[in-house]
Amino acid sequence: MPPQITRLVYLTLAIVAVYFLARGFLVPASFGQYGWYRGNALKEIAALPIRYAGRAACAECHEEAAERLAKGSHQGLSCEACHGPGAAHAEDPAEAAPKPENSRFCLRCHEFNLSRPAKFPQVEADDHFPDQKCAECHAPHSPMQAPEDASKRNAKPVKK
Amino acid sequence: MPPELRESLLEALQHVQGYIYPNDVSLGWSVVIVVYPYITGLVAGAFILASLVRVFHVKALEPTYRLSLLTALAFLIVAPLPLLVHLGHPERCYEVMMTPHATSPMAIFGFVYAWYLMAVLLLELWFDYRRSFVEWAKASAGFKRLLYRVLTLGVEDVSPAAIQLDEKLGRFITVIGIPSAFLLHGYVGFIFGSVKANPWWGTVLMPIIFIFSAMVSGIALLMFLYLVISRLRRVPVDMGCLRAIGTFLLSALVLDAAVETLDWIHRLYEAEESLEVLVLLASGKLFFSFFLVQVLLGTIAPLAMLGATQVFKERISLRLQKSLYLVSSLLILIGVFAMRWNVVIGGQLFSKSLRGFTTYKIALVGQEGLLMAVVLMILPFLLLIGLVKFFDPWNTRETPPATT
Amino acid sequence: MFGFFARAAVGAWAVSVLRPVKAVAQKVAQSPVARSAREAIQKAFVTAQTPTGYDVHAHHWAMAIDVERCIGCGLCAEACKGENHVLKEPFYFRTWIERYIIRKPDPRSFELRGETLVDSPNGGIGGFPPSPVRKENILRTFFVPKLCNQCEHSPCIQACPVGATFDSPDGAVLIDKEYCIGCGFCVQACPYGCRFLNPVTKTAEKCTLCYHRITHGLRPACVEVCPTGARIFGDLKDGNEKNPVRVFIENNKVQVLKPHLGTEPRVYYAGLDKEVR
Ligand code: HEC
Ligand code: HEC
Ligand code: HEC
Ligand code: HEC
Repeated sequence: MPPQITRLVYLTLAIVAVYFLARGFLVPASFGQYGWYRGNALKEIAALPIRYAGRAACAECHEEAAERLAKGSHQGLSCEACHGPGAAHAEDPAEAAPKPENSRFCLRCHEFNLSRPAKFPQVEADDHFPDQKCAECHAPHSPMQAPEDASKRNAKPVKK
Repeated sequence: MPPELRESLLEALQHVQGYIYPNDVSLGWSVVIVVYPYITGLVAGAFILASLVRVFHVKALEPTYRLSLLTALAFLIVAPLPLLVHLGHPERCYEVMMTPHATSPMAIFGFVYAWYLMAVLLLELWFDYRRSFVEWAKASAGFKRLLYRVLTLGVEDVSPAAIQLDEKLGRFITVIGIPSAFLLHGYVGFIFGSVKANPWWGTVLMPIIFIFSAMVSGIALLMFLYLVISRLRRVPVDMGCLRAIGTFLLSALVLDAAVETLDWIHRLYEAEESLEVLVLLASGKLFFSFFLVQVLLGTIAPLAMLGATQVFKERISLRLQKSLYLVSSLLILIGVFAMRWNVVIGGQLFSKSLRGFTTYKIALVGQEGLLMAVVLMILPFLLLIGLVKFFDPWNTRETPPATT
Repeated sequence: MFGFFARAAVGAWAVSVLRPVKAVAQKVAQSPVARSAREAIQKAFVTAQTPTGYDVHAHHWAMAIDVERCIGCGLCAEACKGENHVLKEPFYFRTWIERYIIRKPDPRSFELRGETLVDSPNGGIGGFPPSPVRKENILRTFFVPKLCNQCEHSPCIQACPVGATFDSPDGAVLIDKEYCIGCGFCVQACPYGCRFLNPVTKTAEKCTLCYHRITHGLRPACVEVCPTGARIFGDLKDGNEKNPVRVFIENNKVQVLKPHLGTEPRVYYAGLDKEVR
């Protein structure tokens, strides 16, 4: 074998050996556990913090509100759709409870918009008692009923 | 998030036309990624010019043989830098080699690159220069001597038989090198051509277009370098060599233009869902860089000039011919850059919703800014100067007569 | 002649010698000293994690969208940003809502439908402004929630050079942000515009189906807050007959987005219009 070739073959072998050795050291341990990726990534992603506790969690402590909600037209809504993320509060009730900010938030869902499905109940904000707060007439947890608070009982929403 | 980026994206948002997917406002790949296929293309083109001498025995090109190899090497060394610079986590780049995902064209890059650098270019240079290394080692002392000796890999046999073997093996490597050069750049085309999500990129012709444009740009670069270096070295230009390069350049350019035209005919004829947005793209956002720079300045004008040098060979003065070659090689270099720009940036200007366009405002500084791109473009030329100094392609170095 | 032999010999050498080299390299890498060194190195690259009592092979998650129910309130997109700490800037969304307004055709033409307007101001977070087209001129208008389609044949996974994005055994396409090199190829490869490069972490990001929630028995945040049930989520390996996705897919003709690309999305849409892409 001519020296040119043997030298090059040795060089190649050395490079290949270094490559495999480097692989042995640098490929993460869980790589390939489930597929061509780091198996531990699944656990890492699964361990990220949660901010929305879920309807069931709220219902555990707020039975009354949950029951009321389940009976009215807002039954499909999750508490946190209106209240916002509450995992911190659900973990520790001393944490400030999530509260809907103002009555604009009702309009987020109910403001009239042409693109909304026609059967969805919508109101023209400017025509539907613009001077009053929604909650004066609609109990948020059961919107077709007047709020329990007597002082707010100005009108009683009735189905047409 | 970085405030400058925020500002510039907010401004881009102001200039969005039509409807784009919200994540499509910012361009993931910037001007740095334009430089990447441009540089790899120059490598492949330069190498193919070199192989014309070695494999196809085009004697006229002899004066540029070594220069072509060194140019290919200089640009090849810089080729992965744009990618590296662009990575969000450059410190993790070793993963591409350690756990390459077999279905990803980008993962294969590491291996194609390593193959091309080590198995093709360096080997070819080694076989070509081994004898010189041995001679230079004898003629120098100290560190330099050590360096040259290491470069010989300890093979110091310069008997005619050994040199002949070098010659033979070198040719063999070049033969392997041609498909490898096609692979290197065809694969860069494949990075774009394989993106089916993007109708501007996702065509089977993309690798072929990239190969031809690579040849065009690489040959043009060598023509340019040859003219400039001859002037710098104050040696007369070998007109036969220049003409030969010119002929190859013209043929490559014709092929390139033909394939790209074919691509457009195909798109227009098939008229897929995406055609509307692509036509709007080419005639709107890319009008300047596509029609004016790539097509008119980068293709039609050099075609006419190179054609003229062929047709009126006898009737125009050498001086004029040289200027025509110089200007057309420059125009082609600019045109191919514009082509890379149109592919990389153009492909991200329209949204994959096929309903609208975003804008690209090139940043001046920063990891992916204009300055970085300019530096990356200058770097290979500096390297080339170093390589030319070191490898001495024109045998100007004094070597003592071989004493064996 | 000699050249041929040289080539053949090199080839044979390479094959016969490479295999033992690999074996030796592996043996070295497996030796106790090397193992402790490797563990030290890997610790520098990989973070520790807490195991959960969740069996990845016992689930297969799926999502469906009922376009006709979406009211475009934008709570889903907002909740997603909150739950997943997505950047608040209006260029980064893991999920968003599009509004389609298809005009009536010009009465003098023979066309069936007029021009289509699409918009998604801030991804729909905060709702949509009143329609720019008057009611009389609208043929049809609706909202379409968009999110990662968790494709069976994901172009993004195919494109990832290092295996930092992958299809988990339980049906979510996820990103390992500790391993992502931030090349952006997956962003280019996604036909649905569902990925982006986070400029802070410098890694790719996208919808995970709220993997941290679904593995803890919760629904994804967007599904949790959707008031109308436009987003339906469930486990295909859950034998329960009332499994919401199964029921939905049995009762509706479903479609996927950009089916011609062969990505086989696992997010199913009911009530799509041809203009949606
Ligand atoms: C561990 C039991 C627990 C859970 C779970 C829980 N809460 Fe509470 N919540 C409480 C207690 C106790 C209070 C009263 C705290 C106080 O008044 O300071 C409270 C108060 C509130 C209030 C404020 C009432 C007021 O008048 O100010 C709201 C609103 C509320 N919770 C909403 C929620 C929502 C939404 C959830 C679900 C994400 C939830 N809670 C989950 C225990 C719980
Ligand atoms: C339609 C939106 C909406 C939904 C859904 C909703 N809430 Fe409320 N909730 C409100 C509003 C509005 C208030 C009144 C806040 C105020 O008065 O400042 C409120 C008040 C409360 C209060 C304070 C005490 C009270 O009854 O006034 C509690 C506790 C509460 N909600 C819990 C819940 C729980 C638990 C759920 C889920 C089962 C839920 N809410 C779902 C809108 C909602
Ligand atoms: C997250 C979206 C959302 C918010 C916020 C919301 N609602 Fe609703 N609301 C709904 C849905 C969904 C329904 C049920 C519609 C149906 O039955 O088709 C509904 C039903 C109603 C109805 C009954 C309409 C009917 O004809 O049955 C009233 C009244 C109502 N909401 C008032 C309110 C008020 C007042 C608020 C603010 C406290 C509010 N809603 C906030 C989603 C919302
Ligand atoms: C003065 C009392 C009053 C106030 C304040 C009020 N509503 Fe009503 N609302 C009614 C009555 C009464 C009805 C039932 C009669 C009707 O359909 O017009 C009703 C009906 C509705 C409906 C059902 C419409 C339908 O087509 O089924 C919705 C939704 C609604 N209100 C939302 C709101 C929202 C949101 C606000 C706050 C911006 C609000 N309301 C404020 C009295 C009120």
